Amino acid sequence: MPKIEVNEKLFFQLVGRSMAEAELELALTAAKAELDGFGTDGEGPAAERTIKIELNDTNRPDLWSTAGLARQLRVYSGGGMPQYPFFSSEGDKRQSEYRAVVDASVKDVRPYLAAFVISGKPISDAMLKDAIQTQEKLCANFGRKRKSVSMGLYRIELIKWPVSYKAVPPESAKFKPLGMDRELDLRSILSEHPKGKEYGHIIAGFPRFPLLTGADGGILSMAPVINSNDIGAVQVGDKDLLVEFTGTDFPSVALSANIVACDFFDAGYDIKPVAVDYPYDTPFGRSVTFPYYFQAPASVDSGKVSKLLGMSFSPDAVVAALSRMGVEAEAHGQYVRARTPEYRNDFLHQVDLVEDAMIGRGMDQFTPERPRDFTIGRLHPVELFTRRAKDVMVGMGYQEMVYAYLGSRRDYVERMNADGSDVLRVSNPMTENFELVRPSILPELLNSESVSSKAPYPHRIFEAGKVAFRDAKENYGASTRQRLGLLTCHAQADYNELAGVVSALLYYLGHDYSVTESDDPRFMAGRQARVVAGGKDVGVFGELNPQVLENWGITMPCAAGELDLEALM
Amino acid sequence: MDPRTLLKGLHPLEIKVLLSFKPGDSLDSSRLQSQLGYVEGQANQAQAWLSAKGLAAETGRVSSAVYELTPLGRTWLESGTPEQRMVAYLAKGPAAMPDICKALGMEQKDAGSAYGRLAREGVLSMGQDKLVALADAGKDRRSAAVNALLAKADAAGGTLEDGMLSDGERALMGELAKKRGSGDAAFRAADRETVTWSLLDPAAELAELLRTEGVSGDEAGALTQAMLESGAWKTLSFRSYNIRSRPARLIPGRRNPYMQFLESVKDKLVSLGFEEFDGSMVETEFWNGDALFMPQFHSARDIHDVYYLAEPTKAKSIEEPFLSRVASAHENGGTTGSRGWGYGFDRDFTRRLVLRSQGTVLSARKLPTASVPGKYFGMARCFRYDKVDATHLSDFYQTEGIVLGEDVNLRTLLGFLEMFAVEVAGAKEVKYVPGYFPFTEPSIEVHIKHPVLGWFEMGGAGIFRPEVTEPLGVSVPVLAWGLGIDRIALMALGLNDIRELFSADIESVRLRRAQLA
Repeated sequence: MPKIEVNEKLFFQLVGRSMAEAELELALTAAKAELDGFGTDGEGPAAERTIKIELNDTNRPDLWSTAGLARQLRVYSGGGMPQYPFFSSEGDKRQSEYRAVVDASVKDVRPYLAAFVISGKPISDAMLKDAIQTQEKLCANFGRKRKSVSMGLYRIELIKWPVSYKAVPPESAKFKPLGMDRELDLRSILSEHPKGKEYGHIIAGFPRFPLLTGADGGILSMAPVINSNDIGAVQVGDKDLLVEFTGTDFPSVALSANIVACDFFDAGYDIKPVAVDYPYDTPFGRSVTFPYYFQAPASVDSGKVSKLLGMSFSPDAVVAALSRMGVEAEAHGQYVRARTPEYRNDFLHQVDLVEDAMIGRGMDQFTPERPRDFTIGRLHPVELFTRRAKDVMVGMGYQEMVYAYLGSRRDYVERMNADGSDVLRVSNPMTENFELVRPSILPELLNSESVSSKAPYPHRIFEAGKVAFRDAKENYGASTRQRLGLLTCHAQADYNELAGVVSALLYYLGHDYSVTESDDPRFMAGRQARVVAGGKDVGVFGELNPQVLENWGITMPCAAGELDLEALM
Repeated sequence: MDPRTLLKGLHPLEIKVLLSFKPGDSLDSSRLQSQLGYVEGQANQAQAWLSAKGLAAETGRVSSAVYELTPLGRTWLESGTPEQRMVAYLAKGPAAMPDICKALGMEQKDAGSAYGRLAREGVLSMGQDKLVALADAGKDRRSAAVNALLAKADAAGGTLEDGMLSDGERALMGELAKKRGSGDAAFRAADRETVTWSLLDPAAELAELLRTEGVSGDEAGALTQAMLESGAWKTLSFRSYNIRSRPARLIPGRRNPYMQFLESVKDKLVSLGFEEFDGSMVETEFWNGDALFMPQFHSARDIHDVYYLAEPTKAKSIEEPFLSRVASAHENGGTTGSRGWGYGFDRDFTRRLVLRSQGTVLSARKLPTASVPGKYFGMARCFRYDKVDATHLSDFYQTEGIVLGEDVNLRTLLGFLEMFAVEVAGAKEVKYVPGYFPFTEPSIEVHIKHPVLGWFEMGGAGIFRPEVTEPLGVSVPVLAWGLGIDRIALMALGLNDIRELFSADIESVRLRRAQLA
């Protein structure tokens, strides 16, 4: 979930008024946002302070910027429906003085380009920082780490129009990437520039790399990796900037452009369209002028709103609630037809409008209601049986433990004298300490012993919980089982003590059982047994192999066992 | 202290001393041993206890030397002194020093000093050939004296007091005993203090009282099975115990307070009409994400959030018709009334195996067989790619549930959440704010007010999206909720580090007291 920092002065200016911490916290709930830090960077002027905010809704990238978040708060508190006159739409193209031409060579690499120009006043420090933050957050979360959407800003004064977007052999072009003062060819940028190392993998597998150039061949950027160090080096005070988006999913690329255009427009800049010509068909045609309003209207049944929210909503009430969220709507009979805002594309289903109606009405308008349906509650049979086993264990003087389920190869395999062939391994462990899923409870019990030599003896401990291991018979190739592991540790701990415990436990769980020879390397030869009940092998117990004890650094005799509770049910 | 109170706390060892001696009598350990039959430890205890009660006082302290047989001394006793062994060896004929050492297993310096002593006494001599030869075995009188002293010590239990030695023995002991570094000496020399003491005046009054009360110190300690069988208890008197002495530490069998808390939550949910579900810790991308309408490219599904299995890596198959229906829901909405995510659903990726990362998986799995109306919950161990610290674990419990019903709605959901807040978390104040979860719409977060810690998030909830329920065969609204149970547990148990819930430390688990409501 994205976290952003907004300039306090700019933010409150765009909201329309200043707020104290508590008021802001409450207001942010309408945007599913949480205050992460307010007034934490000292007493300086508001223009130098930042507010840290966490955004929870991954389907609302329009909220991940200063202007976008401010817009939601402004509209919600009655600030009026924003209007964006610069959008083209199907059959309604805006005049544009700028043009970009897409070459057929990018079709299989990174087929879509959207662009517009920011104009009217020099870019401020706060807006430049915000644009850079938007570039990061939008492209990281919504743009899947630049894979489906990336963004670039350029100084118009250095661009010769029309701009061209094509894919070229990586050795055929070179330029100074942002932050470097020497020229590198496209392939070298992937290995030598930090951004190349981070994002190069997106294009590295293609024979040609996507490149944006001016009509004079001047390089703007290698999408989606890095801008050039001249045309692409934007600074505070620059006037007239080109904003460009490339990517693999056209609606995402177009929506990203719309969001940034609306943000700058809200902040008082002019937005000038750019016409983009495609040599191939796109979802929006071969000639698209951006920013482009492509979203379809959505509609919702006011009866559905009433039913899901448990409160009566007339069609007009739905319209009113949606309008508070910045969604223009009108009633048609019992249905409400909503115009999706230019900066949003998250109405997949009627229920998405139901939620906007809920927030628009206000959470405090919904009072809790006691459920009326009668149902019978039940514990799971495994839970019930486990509780019986645990009661018996406690009666026999055992302390219940609760352990983690992930561990290391050292603990689960090596120290246990086990071969580890049945152990489930994680392919992307955070550290080697959390690499395996526990195949048995015994390693955890021994771990307890290894850290508890100062605890007064005797130690008698158990855990009832899950283990998982490889099992080729299963669809998942793995089984999860509920087991009981028990361990006794003191100067006289031995096989006989545990045999008595197992016997009593199985008696109270309603089982006759027998024991058979066992050769489990975790236990001492000749002092261990497999437990057979109802014709099934249900577990093992015995004196722990002194080699295992030494592996764990334990110098007190231990006897332990493990029973499969599900097999005993 | 009042004599009667004092009397109740007296031990038989003290009582016998009080009854046997008068104030002023000079007492010491050996007198109590000989007259009352005490062992040394009992004599010392009687003195210490009486002194602590102000009934006796030390009158003097005499230090005297004692000599204890060392392990080396015992070896000599068994196999002879080095001198004796050397003489015995050389009786077979002259030999060079290194050969003597080797044959007798002696260190050269020990053999050297034994030879020196024997040569001075004229027992041994060394010829031109550097061979040691026996000159006159009869001159070795010292060995016999040493043996006698060792035997005397052994007979006395290993310790000789200075007073028990003759002048000759005392002189020899001076050669044999060492105070420090006694590892290479036959005796260890130590000073022993003999303390003399006597009863004080109040003891006489107490003794009188004991006689009046008929207390002899011979009162029975334990009431035995034999006494009960024979009826002997009827004629015996039993001594009073010191009821204020500290009881011994007992280590009982005990439930784990954290698990007890979790079970109490389960019981609460059952009492509210919920039926428990359970399932595999290994899951597929299908159930862990796809069935929950999380697009396959969703950021919460990448390598830094979910643990993948290394082997096996994929399930053999995914259940139909769920696979096809979920695939259409993602691609174009299918029959769910949604427009879908609009991308090509990857049917190979969906079989990939992961460790269950959210309890909602089990809710989704329950939907195809759930009843309407129906309420279900599960407490599931979930796995997350998180750095372990005071608030994060790589595996932890999530409590999740669903409510199915023709008429359930947002307000019913709030009703459930309010019950959980009050019943499970003991909250007095609850508030709801809009939330976001990929599988519910609308979604809300529940915040509750803790009396000390203030507001915090108790959990999240919402109404399952039709894209989740329809493909799994459910057409009524489904309320879905999840509780941050570990956080509520920390509060209930008065802990502040989540790792303590899963502590391996036996003593800390044993001593933990639950503060359950």
